[in-house]
Amino acid sequence: MSKILLVEDNEMNRDMLSRRLVRKGYEVAMAVDGREGIEMARTGEYDLILMDMSLPEVDGWEATRQLRAAPETESVPIIALTAHAMAGDREKALEAGCDDYDTKPIELDRLLSKMETLLSK
Amino acid sequence: MTAQRNSTSARPTRQRRLARRQAALLRLSTAIASASDEAEVYQSVVAGLHDEALGYNFLGVFLLDPDTGDRVLQASIGWPDIPDNWRVHRGEGLSERALQDGKLHYTADVTRESQYLPSLASGSEVDVPLRVDGTTIGVLVVESSEPNAFSDDDFEILTAAANQASIAIGRARLLAEERQRADEHKALLDTMSDLSSELELSKVLQAVLERAVTLLGVTGGEVAIYEEGARELVVVASQNIGKDSTGTRLKLGEGAMGAVAETREPLIIPSYHEWLGQSVQYADVLVHSVMAAPLLIGRRLVGAIATVHSDPERVFGPEDLRLLNMFAPQAAIAVENAGLYTEAQRQRQYFEALVLNSPVAIVTLDLTENIVSCNPGFEQLFGYTEDEVVGQKLDHLIATEATLSEAVAYTKEALDRPIHGIGRRRRKDGTLVDVEILGVPVIVEKQQVGILALYHDITELLQARREAEAANSAKSQFLASMSHELRTPLNAIIGYSEMLQEEVTDLGHGEFTTDLEKINTAGRHLLSLINDILDLSKIEAGKMELHLESFDVRAMVDDVVTTVTPLVAKNDNQLEVKCFEGLGSMYADMTKVRQMLLNLLSNASKFTEGGTISLDVDRRKDADDGRLMIVFNVTDTGIGMTPAQMNRVFEAFSQAEAATTSKYGGTGLGLAITRRFCHMMGGDVQVQSDVGVGSNFAIRLPAVVKLSAQPAGD
Repeated sequence: MSKILLVEDNEMNRDMLSRRLVRKGYEVAMAVDGREGIEMARTGEYDLILMDMSLPEVDGWEATRQLRAAPETESVPIIALTAHAMAGDREKALEAGCDDYDTKPIELDRLLSKMETLLSK
Repeated sequence: MTAQRNSTSARPTRQRRLARRQAALLRLSTAIASASDEAEVYQSVVAGLHDEALGYNFLGVFLLDPDTGDRVLQASIGWPDIPDNWRVHRGEGLSERALQDGKLHYTADVTRESQYLPSLASGSEVDVPLRVDGTTIGVLVVESSEPNAFSDDDFEILTAAANQASIAIGRARLLAEERQRADEHKALLDTMSDLSSELELSKVLQAVLERAVTLLGVTGGEVAIYEEGARELVVVASQNIGKDSTGTRLKLGEGAMGAVAETREPLIIPSYHEWLGQSVQYADVLVHSVMAAPLLIGRRLVGAIATVHSDPERVFGPEDLRLLNMFAPQAAIAVENAGLYTEAQRQRQYFEALVLNSPVAIVTLDLTENIVSCNPGFEQLFGYTEDEVVGQKLDHLIATEATLSEAVAYTKEALDRPIHGIGRRRRKDGTLVDVEILGVPVIVEKQQVGILALYHDITELLQARREAEAANSAKSQFLASMSHELRTPLNAIIGYSEMLQEEVTDLGHGEFTTDLEKINTAGRHLLSLINDILDLSKIEAGKMELHLESFDVRAMVDDVVTTVTPLVAKNDNQLEVKCFEGLGSMYADMTKVRQMLLNLLSNASKFTEGGTISLDVDRRKDADDGRLMIVFNVTDTGIGMTPAQMNRVFEAFSQAEAATTSKYGGTGLGLAITRRFCHMMGGDVQVQSDVGVGSNFAIRLPAVVKLSAQPAGD
């Protein structure tokens, strides 16, 4: 069973996405801001991180850069999630070190396929 | 031998005498011919004949006074106690006869003649008439103190001398006439120079009239100018005609001036009050005869002039007409010039008022870029008075350290062609002002004379622009954050409704599925509205950027088709996809290309029921510039559009009718966004449609999009 770390500050989004992922058979842990996300990720317990980009304390881009810079987290797959459906956000996320990108609201099937692609690598 | 000798001695004496006479006659001819006026002619006649070789001792030349018939002595030699201008009355004296019949008369013994006016006690007299152009104008009188002193030889000599004198007199008179004309010309020239210095129209015409009255020796007259619009003459100067006619308006053909204005020919009216063409407006004038002439520039009528005699004894003759004809063209030019000058002055006053009252600072520079003048607007804007700036270099006065070189360059350029710019200048008190600058070369009659510079205070304008930009930026910021704030709760609505659908199905409560799906659909519709509005406002703010990448066209198309397939199926439509074999890849903003195709295909699906939707993708060279283009054609068999609807289809919020929105949904923004995306990428989108038949939308994009192909805003 893949362990997923969901870094998301919005409580409803966190609840909704985590419940749906659990229903699909994933084990989901949650962090509420970038700093907590980095701390939890450093434990090395997670197979994939879903990272919201607009986060308090440390934002998603910065958190991703820090994770990529640390040896224990440099290779963990990260999918950026953002409400900013702007062209450019994708590039910006990929530049920061994310492996893929998806926009909110979540199309669950689309997100699952992206997750499975990264998890199967 | 003596006789021989006598005869031989007599012969040389006679020959010598003849030679002397001939020499004297030659001198006489030369003297007469070289006389420069009439008086010299008379003088040279009497002096030339009074020659020892000719032996004439008493000589005089009389001229006939045509008014009285008297003979007046012009020149004489030999007669004692004779006064200058001695007047011999008509009917008196021997020389009367030569005047009467124009023939030479010889009186061998004057003592026998009762008519003889004694100047000598006795002797003989020859009277030779002087004739010019067939008219006897005077008489040459030659006397001797001895009776029978004259022979045929003498008659011959005296006749020849009189003839020569007559020719000389005729020529002298012509010369005098020429001189008089030259004097008249000079008077006219004087008039003209007077006229050019006094250019106000009414003054000019008063002067013209006064000159004409003086020149022609008439009682008075009038001058009128022609008003082309009204086709009427207006009297502007009037002198001594028995009333002040100034302001009188005459139709063409009315009165003397009206008549000449119509015929363009001068006219003499010997008795004005009997003339049929008389104007009722002139029934009360005190004139007897009138001479009028049109004032013409070429064939163009500018006015008319009339001169009058109030004395019934005076009449107009050919000489008066000649003078008037000479005068009229110059008066016409004066009228024309004065008219032009008045118009120019009016325009000048108009422009001066414009410059004076303009809120824009206006300054003129000479060719050395020194200030010649400035208007109150300049004084107000820069705080300098005109006195302070005249003669100064403009740029050194008002440019700042930072803008001096730019200002100098502007000024240099403005010597050759108009310049327009925006810059910052300094007031007298040191404060700075943002100005719009306009500089133009001033060219007078193809000759460059300087520069006209305009400064318009745009401080407030720039302030307003900065505020507008700040407001716009705030708006963009607001939209961006609003979209985020709206999407977050929307995510919850869409997500929870979707999740609940899954859960109710799992829990066997299928009856809730339909309602949950409605919540989900409404949420998604709201999301697409927000996305479209956000896109459009970004485009209009110029904030929409292109993110170019290389991608496989076919793969992108397949992806779009997968996404759109459920939508196509919803209205029982068939989707046909035809792709050109070697489509290859394109370099463009893939997200936007996808968005456009999805938009066209979802539109086609919405407006078509049980029909066919086709997507054709082709690759071809642009006919105009040879660029390689990718062309996407989306064709449907749906409801189609009228031409009016087609015209507006790419405008924002322009779904064919309000009713359409409620029936088919959508924001009405998709096609507006599509067109703007196309333009951003250097392509375009076109529509063809027939009501009830279907629609075709064609997107053409360069296979390789270049950045900043088009500005984002339309």
